[in-house]
Amino acid sequence: MDGIYRPGWVGRALGWGTALYLVLPLFIILPVSVTDQRFLSLPHEGISLRHYAALFAAPDWFASIAQSFWIACASTVLAVGTGTLFAIACWRLNRRSTELLRALMLLPLIVPSIVYAIGLYRYFGWWDLLDRFAGVVIAHGVTGIPYVVITVSTALASFDPRLEQAARGMGASLRQVLAWVILPRIMPGIVSGAIFAFIHSWDELVIVLFIASRDVFTLPRRIWDGINENQDPIMAAVAVLLIGFTTLLLVVDMALRRKRDT
Amino acid sequence: MSATLGTGSLELRGLAKRYGEFVAVQGADLMIAAGSFLTLLGPSGSGKTTILMMIAGFTEPTAGRLLLGGGDITALPPEKRAFGMVFQGYALFPHMTVAENVAFPLRVRGIGRAARDTRVRATLDLVQLSGFADRRPAQLSGGQQQRVALARALVFDPALLLLDEPLSALDKKLRAELQEELRALHRRVGRTFINVTHDQEEALSLSDEVAVLNHGRIVQKGAPAMLYEHPRTRFVAGFLGKSNFLHGVVQGDGTVQCGPWRLHHAAPPAPGTAVLLSLRPEKIALGQAGDNAIEGRVLSSAYLGAGHAVVLDTPIGPIRVHQPAWRAAVDPAIGTTISMAWAADAATIVEDDDAPG
Ligand SMILES: Nc1ncnc2c1ncn2[C@@H]1O[C@H](COP(=O)(O)OP(=O)(O)OP(=O)(O)O)[C@@H](O)[C@H]1O
Ligand SMILES: [Mg+2]
Repeated sequence: MDGIYRPGWVGRALGWGTALYLVLPLFIILPVSVTDQRFLSLPHEGISLRHYAALFAAPDWFASIAQSFWIACASTVLAVGTGTLFAIACWRLNRRSTELLRALMLLPLIVPSIVYAIGLYRYFGWWDLLDRFAGVVIAHGVTGIPYVVITVSTALASFDPRLEQAARGMGASLRQVLAWVILPRIMPGIVSGAIFAFIHSWDELVIVLFIASRDVFTLPRRIWDGINENQDPIMAAVAVLLIGFTTLLLVVDMALRRKRDT
Repeated sequence: MSATLGTGSLELRGLAKRYGEFVAVQGADLMIAAGSFLTLLGPSGSGKTTILMMIAGFTEPTAGRLLLGGGDITALPPEKRAFGMVFQGYALFPHMTVAENVAFPLRVRGIGRAARDTRVRATLDLVQLSGFADRRPAQLSGGQQQRVALARALVFDPALLLLDEPLSALDKKLRAELQEELRALHRRVGRTFINVTHDQEEALSLSDEVAVLNHGRIVQKGAPAMLYEHPRTRFVAGFLGKSNFLHGVVQGDGTVQCGPWRLHHAAPPAPGTAVLLSLRPEKIALGQAGDNAIEGRVLSSAYLGAGHAVVLDTPIGPIRVHQPAWRAAVDPAIGTTISMAWAADAATIVEDDDAPG
């Protein structure tokens, strides 16, 4: 960019240091996943893709991936639906009380997930939602709402309220205004929120540890168990695939943002 | 298709808006005949937008009523009134093309695609934007966006078209062009137009009727020529064009004592009354004889091509004079003392409200 101050060497060093620190675990997991050994370690004599092959041959890993995927999809739908409607309602009412409500909706981000999980365990016990697909979807969906509320509220903040007036002035009902004017304008925000909600569910472990045991066995759960029980490098292979998938989603998100900004 | 309102005259009865203690609009009374072009003219903050928003239904009046064709529409929500509106800054939908923008009101009414396309095309022709149907608003110039906003407001044939300073963002030449287009459009579609502006020339040249606002109050309304020639107050005279203001007292013989002079006035009130005369600069002639003739020393003189804008120093303060440059009787050289004159019916008696100069 032209016309901005160039960072000094301290700033540069800090920036690169931070970036390196963030990606360092990835650089370790990648070689581990192609190890030729039978346990979690760096490659000794050569690299091998046997753990990737093993992963695709193992039905229980595959089942977990599928289960995680469907849970993430369902909880994303839940989070996006409620989060978007909530953000729009807060924006339309725009009172002090809605500010308070909005802060309340961000609670799942603030409360440590372990505390949250303990609470959920209690309620889900009463409602017979423990170790159920629906239970995990609800838990992940609700804790995914803050991401959607944040991204959609941000999108709404830059929405010109006169567009709504213009639409109403031409005879549009609330539903038409919503469908044809507001939603298309804030769609990038909604998609961003959806991506974050999806990722949130996709790699969530703490809550799952509490509210699921046997029937619902998500991917992070299986990795966790794998690490605890045997040091199978298949986990590193899974991790690499997970990272790849998440990166893909983030790239999509960035592309969408760029499109919105132009 | 939703029920369209009748196309009768619009009436504002004591329409008022308060924000807490602050009075944005006080008791506005207006009768706007069907098919006429009314302009709300006033300085910034005088309540023009507030009145327009109350007519459109976006702002709820604190008091008063709004009648269309005799029916009360005060409580009707904006989507039921569905007056065409051109917002300041246009408020076009950025995610839609020009054609989609213009089609919006038709889509809202559930009009089929074929009929929609025909009408969109006809309306884009009307505002001379046929070649721009597939562009997005961001790819248009200010004047083109303004015409899209107009097309969008006209396409569903609303009973009333509300325009909130639609031309204020444009340069002088484009503004003049679009004023011409707006006037032609008004003649062609025959709808009621209510325009908001703080540009007095625009108000005078476009409107059938002008309502002048100040501090949330309609000070005077009438045809442009009537307002210009017979301003009721000092504010109206000063806001619509320029004017000289002379304080005086009516004498027994019907003249007005103004400083050292006895001025003749066509219709003087009772003797002893203190009056304020409004005298337009172009009604004073330099170096000529007339009912009232005085002298002054030229303080400044600006050549404007078509004429001179001269300021003369007199015993009652500076007086502005506009005179045609072509075949001028005298040359208004700075420092010279020259005579000026005006007819007895040139000045108007105005009420002295608090006026900006
Ligand atoms: N929501 C509001 N709350 C409080 N005061 C308001 C509100 N809206 C408008 N006002 C006040 O009412 C007055 C009239 O405002 P309005 O927008 O009608 O002015 P205007 O004549 O359109 O001015 P401009 O030419 O600058 O657009 C202003 O003094 C403004 O500060
Ligand atoms: Mg305004």
